[in-house]
Amino acid sequence: MKNFHRAPIRRARPLLGTLVDIAAVAEENAVRAAFAAVEEVQRLMSYHDPLSEVSRLNREAHRASVEVSAWTGEVLALAQRLASESDGAFDITVAPQLAAMGYLPRTPANRRGERLASWRDLALLPGNRVFFKRPLHLDLGGIAKGFAVDRAVDALLAAGAESGCVNAGGDLRVFGDAPQTIHLRHPAHPGAMARSLALRGAAVATSSDYFSRKRWRGDTVCALIDGRTRHPADVRRSASVIAPTAALADALTKIVLFAPPPVSNELLARHKAACVLLDEAGGILRAA
Amino acid sequence: MNPWLRYSLAPAALIGTPIAGHAIVYLNVQQAQQAIFGGAGMSPATVSLSAEQKKAVQAASGVRQRSDSVKVWRVAGGGWFIVDEVLGKHEFITIAVGLTAGGAVKGVEVMEYRETYGDQVRAPKWRAQFHGKVKGAALKLDDDIKNISGATLSCRHVAEGVKRLLAVHDLALR
Repeated sequence: MKNFHRAPIRRARPLLGTLVDIAAVAEENAVRAAFAAVEEVQRLMSYHDPLSEVSRLNREAHRASVEVSAWTGEVLALAQRLASESDGAFDITVAPQLAAMGYLPRTPANRRGERLASWRDLALLPGNRVFFKRPLHLDLGGIAKGFAVDRAVDALLAAGAESGCVNAGGDLRVFGDAPQTIHLRHPAHPGAMARSLALRGAAVATSSDYFSRKRWRGDTVCALIDGRTRHPADVRRSASVIAPTAALADALTKIVLFAPPPVSNELLARHKAACVLLDEAGGILRAA
Repeated sequence: MNPWLRYSLAPAALIGTPIAGHAIVYLNVQQAQQAIFGGAGMSPATVSLSAEQKKAVQAASGVRQRSDSVKVWRVAGGGWFIVDEVLGKHEFITIAVGLTAGGAVKGVEVMEYRETYGDQVRAPKWRAQFHGKVKGAALKLDDDIKNISGATLSCRHVAEGVKRLLAVHDLALR
């Protein structure tokens, strides 16, 4: 029997290095299945877990190709597509720069040539096999959270959920008939709100330096690296992207921050996405 | 303008509305017990920690034990259910941790999450700068602040809290 006007279930678990929050009009087992999907993404794609597929690639894929799961293959294919389309503004090989600034653990061996590696050194072969043309370190931190949100939404829908919202540390996706209100943080004062969006059947992700900004060797740095210059963003603003999937929204925020506006606007249109850039005063710098 | 945005981007009425103090209650004690241990029976107890034990917890876990006592429940058939609070830079989180009879983590649930910004957001002077700009716009938050994009807070403090409670278990519940 269908329950009308049921109260949503809301749960949170510490996963993916953040709190993953699921609110859904659904049965408990649907929410459990959604968390299981997020756990699976973490198990496959964690940079920190030595048993993950990403860690195995980082250890071995420069010697011989390594087969990965369909999910990891899907994330890598999307990441490479966006890297190519943005001419490297989005790049999943910037881990050495993040490690140097203390945002990721230092890699065990600073292997030769690694700092020169880019997304172009990553080859996706048939049969979900991955080969690195030179030693490099992948970090899917800029896209896997969004992908995990998408898989959680799939799990909720498959288990009969009517509506809901999955939010992984600010990368979120809503589903169901009614629009839901999403608040964007104020870029200069993340303890306050700046704007809100009414979202229906879509995802939104926001990238800003507000929680990662710090002083490092006399400079202000943050955990957002421009793939082309390999330098951290000097943003003091936030980029939010609305897109059909959370994986796309997550990755496109970096492109909106780093690629020239004509490039990012074309990419947004191609992926049926939109962006809202907020300045330090919380005003709209650009909406496209 | 992109059709996504034409109808959905709210005016600046909300600029400066503090998220501080915003709390989400996920589970009460009974629901958290149910989530981790199903219907197993529980008997409550309080573990009191001496100054020396608190130091030992910190030495073993690398995390400071602030409170002198910890709320625990003994689970029928073995195991412990613990409710405790962890303090981050901007957040205050109540967690429930289930331990097996052997002292392994059976489950972690977030019971309550609260943002606790102490910065200028609460300062009347900072907030005043927005007031003139939203003349007539009633500040109406629909039900409460449900979904925030751009909330990349770390769950490091939750992980540290679990580590600390494992040390409490080692020291006082074995």
